Amino acid sequence: MKITVSINLGGYSFNIDEDAYAELKHYLKNLELHFAEEESSAEILSDIETRMAEIFRTKITNYKQVINIEDVRQTILVMGTPEDIFDSDGPSARDKFSSPGYHRMYRDSDNRVIGGVCSGIGAYWDIDPVIVRILFVALAFAGGLGVLVYLILYIVIPEAKTTSQKIEMKGNPVNIHNIKDSVKKEFNNVRKKMKF
Amino acid sequence: MDLENTKAQMRKGILEYCILSVLSRNSCYASDIIKELKEAEVIVVEGTLYPLLTRQKNAGLLSYRWEESQQGPPRKYYELTEAGRTYLTDLDKSWKELVDSVNLIRTR
Repeated sequence: MKITVSINLGGYSFNIDEDAYAELKHYLKNLELHFAEEESSAEILSDIETRMAEIFRTKITNYKQVINIEDVRQTILVMGTPEDIFDSDGPSARDKFSSPGYHRMYRDSDNRVIGGVCSGIGAYWDIDPVIVRILFVALAFAGGLGVLVYLILYIVIPEAKTTSQKIEMKGNPVNIHNIKDSVKKEFNNVRKKMKF
Repeated sequence: MDLENTKAQMRKGILEYCILSVLSRNSCYASDIIKELKEAEVIVVEGTLYPLLTRQKNAGLLSYRWEESQQGPPRKYYELTEAGRTYLTDLDKSWKELVDSVNLIRTR
């Protein structure tokens, strides 16, 4: 048995599994970030939602009343990920390091050794957690600093409990493209809000 | 060099031209445009269409009206504007010039 969420997508009402909802929300948030620089981003997103609702409606029957995660994934494949839509910047090196999705740092207690701090950091920056752990151990040997830093991080970084948090935890590699893009997007977001 | 990537770049360039062409024959809904573009294999993922449609509308090449639907919220019904038709004629010319140029190089 699963919990479902009731959503309004493009003016239609759907019942959707909780995990499917998390993935859908993440996808739409990601799209929103990518369209942030466009003039009519709200209109584009609204059109995309309407189209997705049309697709969802074909998946609902008398025997299947709830949208599940497979439905969401298939629909995303049809609509395209932000990387599929924005392939304008050419070389495939950029594909892997494209603009950051919506993600935050959490402790990954599913993959923890002690508290999931290293797994969380590894998930956020796409580094092998083992490397992060080696760093901490090395710091710990160098005068106990590692232990203190670990404890502070353990308290400050929240644990990824819900499904949506677990998805948000897995970020994209940090490199100059990401940083430049996120700064640019933030700047545009603030600029848009100030226009009124 | 990535063949898929090069093909995608080529498709991207002609997508706007194709959208206007489809609408020049009939006014229709976005989903109809998608269907034709998919059949012609000009578009791979549907999301590519929407930013382009909106940009062309903002540029005055297309307009839409809301059509009531029997089973739900109203949908956008697109049609080409006068400016759009003129633009399309120019694009037809440009396309022909492009094809001729490429053929010239290929067959030299």
